[in-house]
Amino acid sequence: MLKVSARKRVGDFTLDASWSSDHPIVALVGPSGSGKTLTLQCIAGLIAPDAGHIVSAGRVLFDAEAQINLRPQRRCVGYVFQGYALFPHMTVLQNVAFARPRTPRFGATTSATPPDRTVEIIERLGLTSLSARYPTDLSGGQQQRVALARALATDPDVLLLDEPLSALDAPLRRELCGELSQTLHDWGKIAVLVTHDLSEAYQIADTVVLYEHGQTTGAVAKNDLLWNPSSERVAKLIGARNILRAPIAEPPMDSIVLNWRGGRLEAARSPSHQLHATVGEMLAFFVRPEYVRLIRKNRPVTDGLRQTNLFRGEIVGERDEGTTWALFFRLDAPGTPSQGHYDLEIEIPKLVYERLNIPHDRHWEVSIHPGSIQVLPG
Amino acid sequence: MDWFPVWLSLRVALLATLLTVIAGVPIAWFIGRRSFPGRDLVSAALLTPLVLPPTVLGYYLLMVIGARGPIGHTLNQWGIEFAFTWRAAVLAAAVGSFPLLIKTAQSGFESIDRRLEQAAQTLGHSDWSIFWNVSIPLAWRSILAGTVLAFCKALGDFGITLMVAGDIPGRTQTLPLAIYDHVQANQLDHANALSLLSVAIVVLLMLAFGRIARLRY
Repeated sequence: MLKVSARKRVGDFTLDASWSSDHPIVALVGPSGSGKTLTLQCIAGLIAPDAGHIVSAGRVLFDAEAQINLRPQRRCVGYVFQGYALFPHMTVLQNVAFARPRTPRFGATTSATPPDRTVEIIERLGLTSLSARYPTDLSGGQQQRVALARALATDPDVLLLDEPLSALDAPLRRELCGELSQTLHDWGKIAVLVTHDLSEAYQIADTVVLYEHGQTTGAVAKNDLLWNPSSERVAKLIGARNILRAPIAEPPMDSIVLNWRGGRLEAARSPSHQLHATVGEMLAFFVRPEYVRLIRKNRPVTDGLRQTNLFRGEIVGERDEGTTWALFFRLDAPGTPSQGHYDLEIEIPKLVYERLNIPHDRHWEVSIHPGSIQVLPG
Repeated sequence: MDWFPVWLSLRVALLATLLTVIAGVPIAWFIGRRSFPGRDLVSAALLTPLVLPPTVLGYYLLMVIGARGPIGHTLNQWGIEFAFTWRAAVLAAAVGSFPLLIKTAQSGFESIDRRLEQAAQTLGHSDWSIFWNVSIPLAWRSILAGTVLAFCKALGDFGITLMVAGDIPGRTQTLPLAIYDHVQANQLDHANALSLLSVAIVVLLMLAFGRIARLRY
């Protein structure tokens, strides 16, 4: 269990982080400058918060009111720094052996890591053949594993990882993502991962804390975050597109019927969120661009679901995203479009884009699957 | 020719450098690595020996270590003479060369990636252990450069030494003072030999430093 509540002013930036997690891996996700690294520094004791308290594995590491502020050496917190911070004057073996594991007495440290333990950790992370090398002779991925080995050698209660994969190029990052997740889950204690990449967080972590301008959401299970965001703000933070608003048209039953741009829009009800809304009340929701379907002309619609949420309109803009195309779709319905000059962003595979001859055929009918509409609570 | 000034100068410069390194490296680390109120002021104050006229510096030193100065008086009571002895020459050379070591070593400490020292902290190491195992090994090149500079400066000090140690042949006459006296006495061949010797020592030291600095760690 890790409980963090920390306020810290640095210049005109204020961190106000508050979350707790007892899942093995929690990811702190947010844009750079949102206070993620500062939070790690507070947990490790490298920076003292102005107020708050930090509790790890039942030990109070910091408590402003009780004036407790353990030194970094006594916190039993492992830290994998951004860029790894390996000692350039030591070999891989010396780097790992430099860690001082704690003795049974909490926080106290012995003189050095026993040689057999060092060797065991180096073996576990597959570094045996590199143990005589210096950090500058290692690849990014190898450096990352040495940093991990060194941090684990102290036998910490909590492991902090600051952008552990950002120094690597894309193919290697994808490969090491799974490896890192495996290593951390095998280790089994709490790890805190800082990343600006939500998909990386999703692959490695169990729960996610979102950061924005120093503010945080609580820790959310990763599936809930993507498939059941708790608010419009969270939806924005995870990069949801087509965040829209519409009034409720009929009393909510099995599904929610909205009146959007003069049309009837039916959304499936989320089982986990309570909804106490009355007719006429505005609801926020979002539509995943990849779930909006273009209806083929001259081919009768047989699928019943395809007949719900039908909208007619025109493609007013597009963007080539490599393997997919983003289309900006404006409804024919009168009134101002809901997102500037368009109503819906639609994502289709490049193959479909070519087959449907989108460059020359701009008028379409689309259907929105009720299950792809995510209603956002209050 | 009298070789005494050469041996005296080497001995004085060596002792002065030793003094400077022992006192200066921790101070340089403290200024380079810690923030405390008045840090810039202290940092500037430590550089004054470099910019003050040597005679002014020597004058103030003499006020402190002279027979009537606070330190000189106390030492005198214990039967130790300080002013106008080789000890005063060591002090003079150390004071003059101190800023060079501080400045060079300080920039060496400042250029260490802060995260390396923080990493050592999270790995359970005390400040003392970090100083010896991380800071010193990573700043050694700068420390050595500062040491060499300090030694060369100590070897060549004239003004401060003259003020506090005098120019007593066979007692406090160092290499630069001897050269000056030889010129005054129109013994140019002696002045020439000692000057060439000075150049040789400094050049050799610099060459040696260049070689060592190419080593990795």
